[in-house]
Amino acid sequence: MDGDSSTTDASQLGMSGEYMAGSHYVLQSQDDDGDESLHDHEEGNGSKENFREQDIYLPIANVARIMKNAVPQTGKIAKDAKECVQECVSEFISFITSEPLKLYLQKFREAMKGEKGIGGVSVTEGLGEELTDDSFANQLPAGIITADGQQQNVMVYTTSYQQIPGVQQIQFS
Amino acid sequence: MSSNNVEEKVNHASNSKGISLPMTRVKLIMKSSPDVSSINQEALLLTTKATELFVQHLALSSFNNGSGKDQTLLYSDLANTVEEKETFQFLTDILPKKILVRDYLKLLEENPIEEADN
Repeated sequence: MDGDSSTTDASQLGMSGEYMAGSHYVLQSQDDDGDESLHDHEEGNGSKENFREQDIYLPIANVARIMKNAVPQTGKIAKDAKECVQECVSEFISFITSEPLKLYLQKFREAMKGEKGIGGVSVTEGLGEELTDDSFANQLPAGIITADGQQQNVMVYTTSYQQIPGVQQIQFS
Repeated sequence: MSSNNVEEKVNHASNSKGISLPMTRVKLIMKSSPDVSSINQEALLLTTKATELFVQHLALSSFNNGSGKDQTLLYSDLANTVEEKETFQFLTDILPKKILVRDYLKLLEENPIEEADN
């Protein structure tokens, strides 16, 4: 029943049963329903399925493996530590997705008042003081595509092989 | 920008030993943020890799910061690291320090707080 011995294949596609059994969390919806209904809504008005964000985690086996590789060979990891890092990971992903977006939207609204184009927003700029750690800053220079005037906002992070200090603005035709 | 080329590179990176987290699941979590409609493949790859680095960073910091008993990483190590390091401040809400009920009751006795209806 331990998550570590599970195959990653099964747990990658959906929320694995063995994960749910041992912990005190209950997932709100079943695997396939969640995935399918998200896709359904994608095309339409863009409304989200009632998927509470705190219910979506990465498989604990993967998370545990990465943790094990990070600590020295002889180290052990408590089970509740693994579970909690799993939650932290989901929080982290949501955080780095939403923070630059907020900044982008703010600039977007300001720019819509004037008529100039919008510069992109660097991910590190969006994150501000909080996450600007060397290990992240070098990995994530970013550019953001401007909206095309409709409701759709597309966020793009691009890598830059040469160090571009500012931001690249990419235009759709 | 040829998206086919990018997709190939992305798939290659995830199939080789570079990435050990499922990108489909990462994408799901990203989409749960409001106002996000679609996600670029490169962005997804970057985020996945960054997440991996984050796990390593958090695990190692907490381990080094820890009580040192039995070389085990405990929940309390994580909670302490999150409180102390500025980088991890965004995690304070989901990683509260655990306290025994009787200790909490004792605390309440010493510092009576008016119960507010939140």
